Amino acid sequence: MRTRQWIQAVLSLCMGLYLLDTLLSGRIAFYINIERFVWLSWVAAFILIAMGAAQVYELIRRSANATQGRVRPAPTPLGAPLIDSLAYDATSGTSHDHAGHGQVVGGRGPSWLVLAAIAIPLVMGLAIPAKPLSAGAIQTSGVSAGFSASKTDVLSIAAADRNVLDWIRAFNTSTNYSEFNGQQADVIGFVYRDIRMDQGKQFMVARFAVACCVADASAIGVLVQTADAAKWPQDTWVRVKGKFDAQTIGDQKSPVLVAESVEAIAEPKQPYLYP
Amino acid sequence: MDPLLLLTTFSTRFLGIFIEAVSFLLIGSLLSGLIEVFITKEDIIRVMPRNRILATLTGSFLGFVFPVCECGVVPVTRRLYQKGMPISVGITFLLAAPVMNPIVFASTYAAFGWGPVLIGRYVITFIIAMTVGILFSFQDRPQRLINPAAVLAISGGSDQAVPLKQARMALIPGLRRALILAGEDFFEMGRFLVIGTFLASLLQTFIPQEALRGLATNPVNSVLVMAGLAFLLSVCSTVDAFLALSFARTFTTGSVLTFLTFGPMVDIKSASMYLGIFRRKTVFYLIVLPLLISALFGIWLNLNVAF
Repeated sequence: MRTRQWIQAVLSLCMGLYLLDTLLSGRIAFYINIERFVWLSWVAAFILIAMGAAQVYELIRRSANATQGRVRPAPTPLGAPLIDSLAYDATSGTSHDHAGHGQVVGGRGPSWLVLAAIAIPLVMGLAIPAKPLSAGAIQTSGVSAGFSASKTDVLSIAAADRNVLDWIRAFNTSTNYSEFNGQQADVIGFVYRDIRMDQGKQFMVARFAVACCVADASAIGVLVQTADAAKWPQDTWVRVKGKFDAQTIGDQKSPVLVAESVEAIAEPKQPYLYP
Repeated sequence: MDPLLLLTTFSTRFLGIFIEAVSFLLIGSLLSGLIEVFITKEDIIRVMPRNRILATLTGSFLGFVFPVCECGVVPVTRRLYQKGMPISVGITFLLAAPVMNPIVFASTYAAFGWGPVLIGRYVITFIIAMTVGILFSFQDRPQRLINPAAVLAISGGSDQAVPLKQARMALIPGLRRALILAGEDFFEMGRFLVIGTFLASLLQTFIPQEALRGLATNPVNSVLVMAGLAFLLSVCSTVDAFLALSFARTFTTGSVLTFLTFGPMVDIKSASMYLGIFRRKTVFYLIVLPLLISALFGIWLNLNVAF
């Protein structure tokens, strides 16, 4: 029983520390929209550590009491414990003792199964190398094209400053892609291919757009045309500079970025774009 | 596909949902711990109006004053019954509080933004809770609803038992105890979050959206599937919005709303807790009525409203 409560405390502390590490190292950017929600994770880390610390304090205090011969809290008057056992949680089996102040919850601690369940995210976070979503993840989610223009007028951003998300939004504002012909583009993204592309001359420069967390991550991309497309392996991060040209692909007109230069870059610290 | 890549993708999806959701679960657990410690039962009773409709209305909004997860709502309701709260009001509170509270509002807003899902979730939940609560208020012998073993025996065999007044704790020891309680709540509820997130990530990583498309876009089947999923996954209402978000890309909006309104009211976990207060027949109605109403809403929305 006591062991389980110690493990609970340790798990709480470790999870808090893991979150802190994820935050400080910047890897948090792989998981959530950090512009909007990073403060939440700081709060979470703080609460986890506080919970663990309170538990440890209590456990040490109780074992100190025990060694002084006061193993059980003094019994309380008749009415109180019966009514306060209302807090008995039928599913967990732990009882919350509210009869007096200073008396801590006298539960038996969470079951092994519960501890194991909570340990899972910790294990996954520590054991599996942390990587942001990449081209592999697109295979199940597909590439989405539907990003409407946001509150700010995306066309007011200079062409050369637009990222992949800006371009997709820009395309959604018009029905005739030829109006983008000749516009200068300078975008970064990872290489993605699917079978509909001409393998020798095309690939897609893609990013993930994350509104809240990876649960809603959508892959977006711009089609790139370049003579040596085949030499870029999927998932490589590249910077593509060139001009747009509306071309007919299959039976549709699509804006294609005709590359003037393609160079490999390091994976950015913040791989996702935030709509 | 390369198994290591699959594993890292799965892990990223899992941790992404988990890290976002765990923040809300922790805040919710901490709040419930603070309420346990610093709010007395007398405070709750002082708030209750006498009129049936007003009382039912109060019951549905009480969650904003006492934000509890669907897990925490059962012991609180039991405590309120002990203080003489009308049964129907307790039922409204039970059904409404898991959604009508600030934390769930915040997490639903975080996941879906200001839009039909957020508004729909609140409107539909309110309607279900009020409807079921008022229906039960017509039961003129409310003691038939309650499982006597759960309530009367606890008060020493008499429904006249007067509990000792609970004095408020001092701040620092109170905070410590709140943290301990929060830890317990977090671990109990966290395991459902882990399981739910695990399943949702499995779905996202291994099942291509195309495969689900037929089921997920059908206006009726999608609702039934999501209702079933909501029952099985038993995820805390503070964070189910994030799971729903991962489904939202493939499933109809109506079915997502069914998931978000039915789930907090009824799932494996809460159904078993209800048996601790109510008789079997009551629990049956408590399950079936919300299911019917939330599913009907979902289907109706799918068929009539273009999102």
